[in-house]
Amino acid sequence: MTNASQKRSSWLALGAVPLLFAALFALQTRIDARTRTEAQEELLLRSPRAIEKISLGYDSLLADIYWTRAVQYYGGKLADQNLHFPLLWPLLDISTTLDPKLLPAYHFGAMFLSEPRVGANRPDLAVELVKRGIAANPDRWGLYADLGFLYYWYLRDYGDAASAYLAGSHTPQGPAWMKFMAARLDQKGGSLENSRMIWTQVYESNSDPKIRKLALDTLKGLKAEQDEQELEAVASEYRRRFGRYPASIAEMRDSGLLRGTPVDPDGYPYVLEPDGLFGLNARSTVAIPLEPRTPPRSLAK
Amino acid sequence: MSAMPGVVAINTFREAVRDRVLYNLVFFALLMIGAAIIVGQISIGIERLVIVNLGLSAISIFGLVMAIFIGVGLVYKEIEKRTLYSLLSKPIRRWEFLVGKYAGLVLTLVINTAFMTLGLAAALFYVARSFVRSDASILIAIYFILLALALVTAIALFFSCFSSPMLSTLFTLAIYITGIFAGDIRDFGALTHSSFIRGATSVLYYLVPNFHDFNSIAVAAHGESIPFALVWQNTLYALMYIVLLLVASSAIFSRRNLK
Repeated sequence: MTNASQKRSSWLALGAVPLLFAALFALQTRIDARTRTEAQEELLLRSPRAIEKISLGYDSLLADIYWTRAVQYYGGKLADQNLHFPLLWPLLDISTTLDPKLLPAYHFGAMFLSEPRVGANRPDLAVELVKRGIAANPDRWGLYADLGFLYYWYLRDYGDAASAYLAGSHTPQGPAWMKFMAARLDQKGGSLENSRMIWTQVYESNSDPKIRKLALDTLKGLKAEQDEQELEAVASEYRRRFGRYPASIAEMRDSGLLRGTPVDPDGYPYVLEPDGLFGLNARSTVAIPLEPRTPPRSLAK
Repeated sequence: MSAMPGVVAINTFREAVRDRVLYNLVFFALLMIGAAIIVGQISIGIERLVIVNLGLSAISIFGLVMAIFIGVGLVYKEIEKRTLYSLLSKPIRRWEFLVGKYAGLVLTLVINTAFMTLGLAAALFYVARSFVRSDASILIAIYFILLALALVTAIALFFSCFSSPMLSTLFTLAIYITGIFAGDIRDFGALTHSSFIRGATSVLYYLVPNFHDFNSIAVAAHGESIPFALVWQNTLYALMYIVLLLVASSAIFSRRNLK
């Protein structure tokens, strides 16, 4: 081969390689467009024990990979606004079986599973997951706090919530507030004040921005709910004095029962509705937390 | 004992460097850098954990590949290239040659692992911004990986004394995997009603090296302490097994007809 033809071949290769890569990219994109949705819903191996065996000792690394996959799966579903999570439990089950000490999988996984607004609405599975975490890590007070929170907020089971907080307070580094919380729940059960305390704890103990935002939004909603209850009490007092409900907030102010114009955590004034009830301004982003729905039992694990 | 095993060991190490074996460090560095940057963005709460798990797993896998694929060719290559004959014409005994070859590969693995440890430490510092006392467990986990690699090298060398590289690789891998499942094999035997199977699985359990005991990756990743008793027991176990394999290898190699 002459020098000139060698040079020509080199230039040809230099041009052909990127062109072929570009063609491959286009072809792969076409294939992905057809198969991606099916592939996302697939979990080839579902048995955590089988995966543990074939990991050949690298089970903790595999646990991290499955946990990352669970996070991606959850985030992807949220982005698609699809709140059906059939693979969430299997992914969390595999992650925590491969590495029973993988605390983020219990902590955040329980949140993903239990949330009705932005999760699978399966607090029963979340409780199972956290109980499994406690069995493997009995000294971690954070898991007891998670369990207490799940019982309190999603299952409205104040007795079990109090027991979880009390058990957490007995762990080596269990903070004193857990004992205090247990006593409060034993005495009062569910209350706005307790809910705010518990969500404040969720907000303060989490570094993940998504969960912090959820906690902050819920805290704003709880504050609004408390404000509305207080305003409705003032409206009732107005009725007791004047024989009718106030027609406007200005009337309540003029009567001396209210100082200024009350605003929600977003800064929008509350709206007075008929019969002395209060609501949120239509432009406000604050949402009062809904009562959790009953978990759909028909969903398979 | 003469200085010949040392000379052979140094030359084996030099040969490995010449064969660009240490280039795997570049892959390791890229893996660590990639993980340190990406994991925080795609997962939650496991940034430090992944660096330790991934770093230790990579040290183990890279080392394993080196130990097996270089180990099985240690003797075979010398015979194939006929360099063994000129070597054995010098005042060196066959067992000294074997020990030197073994020490050379272990030295290569130690240096390779030392560089990877530095890479892991750098990635860990980048992610966690500090070191904590419990990070000492990572060093012990790396020491256990090195013990396991030294053991695998001895197994590969043993097979390379009488078998082809292809078969030696298969045998070494088979023993390594059986060693990982040694505990399960014994448990399986205990579940049966047959005393023969129970006896056979028990014998197999004690016969194959129990590699499961050398795995402390998860413990180190979670910052838990590794008991000192396990350190000396694993050290003694590996040393005894390595000596056993080197003695057996020397016996086979000494009787081998090289003509």
